[in-house]
Amino acid sequence: MTTMTEAVRASSTGGTVKKRASRIRSGEKRPAAAFYWMVWPAVIAFAFFHTLPVLIGIFFSFTNYPGYGDWNFIGLSNYVNLFKDDRVLAAYGFSFLYAIVATILTNVISLAIALGLNAKIKASNFWRGVYFVPYVLAILVIGYVFQFFFSNSLPKILSGIPLFADNILTNETWAWTAIVGLGVWQACAFSIIIYLSGLQTIPGELYEAASIDGATPWRQFTSITFPLIGAFLTINIVLSLKGFLQVFDQVVALTNGGPGTATESVTLLIFRGGFSGGEFAYQSANAVVFFIVITIVSLLQFRVLQRREADF
Amino acid sequence: MSSRTRSIRMAAAAVTAVGVIAALSGCASGSGSGVTTLNFFQFKGEALEDFNKIIADFEAENPDIKVVQNQVADADTIIRTLLVKDKAPDVITLNANGGFGKLAQSGVFYDFSEEPVLQTINPAVQDILANLGNKEGEVNGLGYVNNANGVIYNQDIFEQQGLEVPETWDEFIAVCDALKDAGITPFYGTLADSWTGLPSFNALGAYPSQGDFWDQMRAEGENVGPDSEVSFQKDFPEALDQQYELYSNYMQEGYRGKTYDDGNAAFANGEVAMLLQGIWATNPIKQINPDIRAGIFPYPATNDPGDRLLVSGVDVVVTMGKNTPHKEEAMRFIDYMFEKGVIEDFAASQNMVPSVEGATLGDDPALQSVKPYFDEGKITGFIDHQIPPSIPLAAIIQQFLFNGDTDAALATLDSEWAKVAARTIPVTGD
Repeated sequence: MTTMTEAVRASSTGGTVKKRASRIRSGEKRPAAAFYWMVWPAVIAFAFFHTLPVLIGIFFSFTNYPGYGDWNFIGLSNYVNLFKDDRVLAAYGFSFLYAIVATILTNVISLAIALGLNAKIKASNFWRGVYFVPYVLAILVIGYVFQFFFSNSLPKILSGIPLFADNILTNETWAWTAIVGLGVWQACAFSIIIYLSGLQTIPGELYEAASIDGATPWRQFTSITFPLIGAFLTINIVLSLKGFLQVFDQVVALTNGGPGTATESVTLLIFRGGFSGGEFAYQSANAVVFFIVITIVSLLQFRVLQRREADF
Repeated sequence: MSSRTRSIRMAAAAVTAVGVIAALSGCASGSGSGVTTLNFFQFKGEALEDFNKIIADFEAENPDIKVVQNQVADADTIIRTLLVKDKAPDVITLNANGGFGKLAQSGVFYDFSEEPVLQTINPAVQDILANLGNKEGEVNGLGYVNNANGVIYNQDIFEQQGLEVPETWDEFIAVCDALKDAGITPFYGTLADSWTGLPSFNALGAYPSQGDFWDQMRAEGENVGPDSEVSFQKDFPEALDQQYELYSNYMQEGYRGKTYDDGNAAFANGEVAMLLQGIWATNPIKQINPDIRAGIFPYPATNDPGDRLLVSGVDVVVTMGKNTPHKEEAMRFIDYMFEKGVIEDFAASQNMVPSVEGATLGDDPALQSVKPYFDEGKITGFIDHQIPPSIPLAAIIQQFLFNGDTDAALATLDSEWAKVAARTIPVTGD
């Protein structure tokens, strides 16, 4: 207990922090034990619940384990078969199409809404709350609400348009757009929050100066707002794309991968093939490949997007 | 019908999984006072009350045995985790699907071949189980009640229109045309739920896949294709064409976007004359309209009435863990379950066909109309149980019923079969 309070005192007295930091480096005094007490449980929990399962998954991807019973090592066969499987390729195609479209829509819409919420409008806190509601609701719940909407309400409201009159969720070509609609609707809530916090970091004097110089609101947006929220744009795009690539609940709630296998995402394929399909090891290999793909995509995005971020 | 409850309720399943495992480990040591406690693993939610009654009666007769019913959601997954952990329940009921066959083959269940109760069961039912898989030379499951997969028809509408139950394919089409001419929609299609394409696929596909078709398919493995000895492309075109004919000509408007529940409601209200479903749909239909008289007839896929086959699955199979320490008590409970009166009550309440020979069926018209096929042994299993679960069969059939492209659907089935065969690497001895 005493070490705990010591640590709190040490960290709360802001002035001494710098001095202490340099002393650690010179090795005169060790950091308080409390820091270790805080770090170790987290490390253990993280390793046990996160790192270990990942390693086990990688391990089983080199076997023919069906999820129960006996198994053998089979080398890289799962990976070789993966690249020959057109169903897997189709799932990657769907996931990327969905993720790219949804990322663009989410970021355009939420940036626009965030700009509105950041302006001096009446009851801005109320509106911010309203836009955050979709993030609070459980995805499966709203998923079923949306499913009812698409299969029962829309056919009646838009009975003149054949695409909607016949339940868009069972349309092989366009079912994915309904999933995009649900995904964007829900993801905007979180993106808006990040954009809002980004917008609030921009000092008001910049806009005052710009309007004195006679810049139009559009010019202010392109020359001040957009460059200065660069870091937030990067993080939002990277997080959205990563999240949308792993789309699962939305698909389950709306189409369950159908009609046919038209909206089968990679995660849904891994879940189905691995658990109900009895191909645990094969889909583990798929998961490993998917993990690598997402990592590469995210790193590429960071490199490209960070280049155009403005420093300030 | 396993695909009936395909919707994923992961959260619920996870919670029950934890609960069941906790419950089972708790029960294991409850035999202190001369009373043996049996773990009874029960997969069928709608049978919970029926089994409670069976257990209460059994316990009254056998005071030295206590039976704890563990009713679980997503039983297929949970039984696997229990078996892997070597915590097999004493008495188990499962749906006899392909997954059950796989488990039976791996030898985790008790061998019933010497038990007298086996002699009381209809051999055609045990054949269906044997086709799913048993450990070499063993009998690992006892069929309890069976379902029937056939065309459900509204007997009142048939009588009003002066129609007879069709016995050949041509008669079947003639009945559909007559209904259409009379302004009655023959069928209600519900393709928004992909699995609802499967009952008719199973029934019509049963004809080309008689004999050792599936053994040959498995032997072909990754070579299955248009040129192989047997294949979907070679043997199934007629079945799929027949299925598509029913869907494309005789369904209501908008059959692509309706769900299973919509179909049951429409049939119950007399909007259509028939449903391409099975006996499991009669309960939900009766909940909407208790007075409906619904019968079932097998899909007559050929033009010889003598060829007709009723597709039937073992809806509930009873088995027990191989190494249960309470073998004698568990067997007593199983024997009790298979007593004629007990199984009759259960089957009537569940609207199923009891497997014990000589047991009488409930007086439901649907049950009565399939009785002759069970008596004569003219029943055959669900073919989707022979197709590996990693093939998205329901999705492929649904897609086919949307676009009618027989060749593409069969080519996809063959290529999926070949791919799964190629990547299923058998476990070697060491």
